[in-house]
Amino acid sequence: MSKISSIVFFVLALTFAGASASFAQTTKYKCMIQMTNYMGEGAYISISLVDSKGAYEKTLYVLGSDKKWYKTLKEWNKFYLKNQAGVSAITGASVTGGDRSVNVIEIENSKINTGYKLRFESAVEDKAYNVKDLEIPLTTETLSAKSEGTGYIRYVRFSAN
Amino acid sequence: MTISVWRYSHLALAVSSFLLLTLASVTGIILAFQPVAEKIKPYRADSFNKVSLAYTLPVLRQTYPGITELSVDANHFVQVKGTDAEGKKLLAYVDPQTGKIIGTPGKQSEFFQWVTALHRSLFLHEAGRFFIGLTAFLLMLITVSGTILIIQRQRGLKRFFTRIARDNFAQYYHVVLGRLSLIPIFIVALSGTYLSLARFGLIETPKQSPKIDFDAIRSKPEKKAADFAIFKETKLSDVESVEFPFSEDVEDYYTLKLKAREVAVNQVTGEILAEVKYPVSVMLTNLSLDLHTGRASGIWAVVLAVASANILFFIYSGFAITLKRRANRTKNKYKAGESNIIILVGSENGNTFGFAQAIHQSLLKAGEKSHITELNNYTVFPEAKHLIVATATYGLGDPPTNATKFAALVKKHPQQNPVHYSVLGFGSHAYPDFCKFAYEVNSLLSHQEWASPLTDIHTVNDRSPQEFSLWAEAWSQQAGIPLNVLPQLQNTQPKDLDTFTVTATTSATRTDGTFTIQLQGKRRLRVNSGDLLAIYPMNDHRERLYSIGLIAGQVNLSVRLQPDGLGSGFLHRLKVGEKISARIVENKHFYFPQEAKEVILISNGTGIAPFLGMISQNTNKTPCRLYCGFRQRSSFEMYESLLLENHASGQLSSIHTAFSREGEKQYVSDLIERDAGLISAALEAGSVLMICGSLAMQKDVMELLETICSKKAGKSISYYQSHNQVLSDCY
Repeated sequence: MSKISSIVFFVLALTFAGASASFAQTTKYKCMIQMTNYMGEGAYISISLVDSKGAYEKTLYVLGSDKKWYKTLKEWNKFYLKNQAGVSAITGASVTGGDRSVNVIEIENSKINTGYKLRFESAVEDKAYNVKDLEIPLTTETLSAKSEGTGYIRYVRFSAN
Repeated sequence: MTISVWRYSHLALAVSSFLLLTLASVTGIILAFQPVAEKIKPYRADSFNKVSLAYTLPVLRQTYPGITELSVDANHFVQVKGTDAEGKKLLAYVDPQTGKIIGTPGKQSEFFQWVTALHRSLFLHEAGRFFIGLTAFLLMLITVSGTILIIQRQRGLKRFFTRIARDNFAQYYHVVLGRLSLIPIFIVALSGTYLSLARFGLIETPKQSPKIDFDAIRSKPEKKAADFAIFKETKLSDVESVEFPFSEDVEDYYTLKLKAREVAVNQVTGEILAEVKYPVSVMLTNLSLDLHTGRASGIWAVVLAVASANILFFIYSGFAITLKRRANRTKNKYKAGESNIIILVGSENGNTFGFAQAIHQSLLKAGEKSHITELNNYTVFPEAKHLIVATATYGLGDPPTNATKFAALVKKHPQQNPVHYSVLGFGSHAYPDFCKFAYEVNSLLSHQEWASPLTDIHTVNDRSPQEFSLWAEAWSQQAGIPLNVLPQLQNTQPKDLDTFTVTATTSATRTDGTFTIQLQGKRRLRVNSGDLLAIYPMNDHRERLYSIGLIAGQVNLSVRLQPDGLGSGFLHRLKVGEKISARIVENKHFYFPQEAKEVILISNGTGIAPFLGMISQNTNKTPCRLYCGFRQRSSFEMYESLLLENHASGQLSSIHTAFSREGEKQYVSDLIERDAGLISAALEAGSVLMICGSLAMQKDVMELLETICSKKAGKSISYYQSHNQVLSDCY
């Protein structure tokens, strides 16, 4: 059943894509990041869409606006340097220990439940860098649950906007 | 002793931190404008202080269903964050009463971000932060040591804000501004130090979140947010931020971050789920941030900018003071106790020191243990074999100020071993009592049992290098020590001379006695009445000084033609249009006071010259009395019309003349005696007295003033001298 629906969806999507080539259907989610009570400067966090092999597909959100610190998000920065277009529009303030940050991210529906993952990468000026502070499969299930981070992030929650 | 310890610390601290301090001050001045620039934006709601959360939260939640956070910044701007109806990002300043958007926060200026990073960490991250923190700490110590220095300087805490004696520009304003900006600078330094300590974890500022027992969360009784007790009692002015519940689930709650605590509030019942008070260290960090950045008050931010600018001035003036002090200090490689050759110097204005230094350097080059010091520092020199006295004579055959105690010291400290001495006197034959003090020293030493002369006394007229090297040869031969002084001798040839053109002279009509001459210097020449003009009649080392009166931008000299006078003869021969080379010698201690109740000018003969300029420049019309003495009325007549003109315009209140060879045969001191009560009262009221003319006149007037002042005011004239109320320039 689910196979059929996904085929239908695929066909629909194709038709849709044919009708207006550049518009893919997307959904907005509220994404709340709750930080641990670490001490120190504000953390820089990038939220990226990565494919099943772990390759960066798209930057969904960046917390931290001073570009000079982007290099501390080592892996993501390599991708960012080649794909900077549009990133400044989805950039917010960095977030310090104990705080939470709620932001809206936009995800293409076609990426959900199709093997893609969401990666939360974090770095603090003079402290450790977490390439996968949190990485979760991009599924309808994770988008409604609470996921625990491993670094500066205590947990992440989503809700459809 | 104690003063030098504090001064040394003050200097050492300043030297070790001035580079970073300069950087921090410059960036600090720039950063002070950030809060000022923010404050003037119109995002502050008037109702801010009155509104409670119970009122504002429901309003905001209704207007913006997608609101996730409300925050109140240091400027009292209320900001909301979340998503709007279309699901787009919402970030705006709102009126907390109506929920209306009044503005959107701009992006933080990249420029200020850049400057902030430089100010905090020099772009060096942790290492930079450490050095900046250390600089803040050093600045704190500098402030403390500076305060102690001011207390010592003013002789007591109670006199901290009393008048400061003025030596020179750098020193005076270093102290004046130091007193004024002491407190803000100390606050900047202290708060900066605290922030650094907190940053490096030496002061713990732990983050704590309210601990919530999720099992105990209840969903009844349901209340409206407007009725929550905690919301009612919390005014917006106590709030830093409010985080709205992420969803309507009862386990999601409000988090109120207040000024002193963090509270978690059940979104259904309004119960306080948990709360945590900030530790004192966190409160202090916030206070330090307010004080260090000026973010809470625009006025304080401006004060901080001014204080930072003052730090820059202190760095400049501090170094100016130090360099000046070092320039005046003689460096000794060997201590007095271990030296074989002791050079004792008596010098009034440093010229003689220059010659003595030449001897000293030459001896050191020859491998001798030589020590140079002032005559007043005479004591027992256990290793001394040779004593060289190089001294000028001051006034009427008196010792220079750094030689006044020498005679007494010689009596007190006889040398234990036989010592050879040699005396070298400096002076000019233009004055009577040529090298008189040098002769006195020579005779004094000749009577000491331990002393035997190595050479006869030598004198150097008009800084003549020939006569100087003559002494050096004689001494060298007798002592068997090579002494090659001439290469060491600097400043005997005039340097940096300007060209002056003669524009007027009365030499043709006045073939003897006094004449006046007017010279035009180059444009933008820095000269003031009271400065001296140094001329070089023979284009060699011989220099003659004349007091300048600046009238209508022209250098005016009054000169008494001396028989065979080197300088006066030279000036007398000059014709209009001729050019001469000369230089201005700054003489700041004899400038007309900027602020004084009244100025009393006393002169005799050509000593009136600087006063003529000062009176012409007295456009502020400071009350000004002139007492001037001459030999004949005809000398006065040269100046009479100018003085009467100035009197009519109010620049000169009164003129009193004395003629010593005509009429009543009065001296200027007789006029002072006549007006004794008036002058004593004027001094007591803060007037300034200026004396210019012959040393003999100065001596008479000062003695007279001493009697007058002690009789009428019970104070010695030295009291007024030390308060810069008696200025003199005599020759």
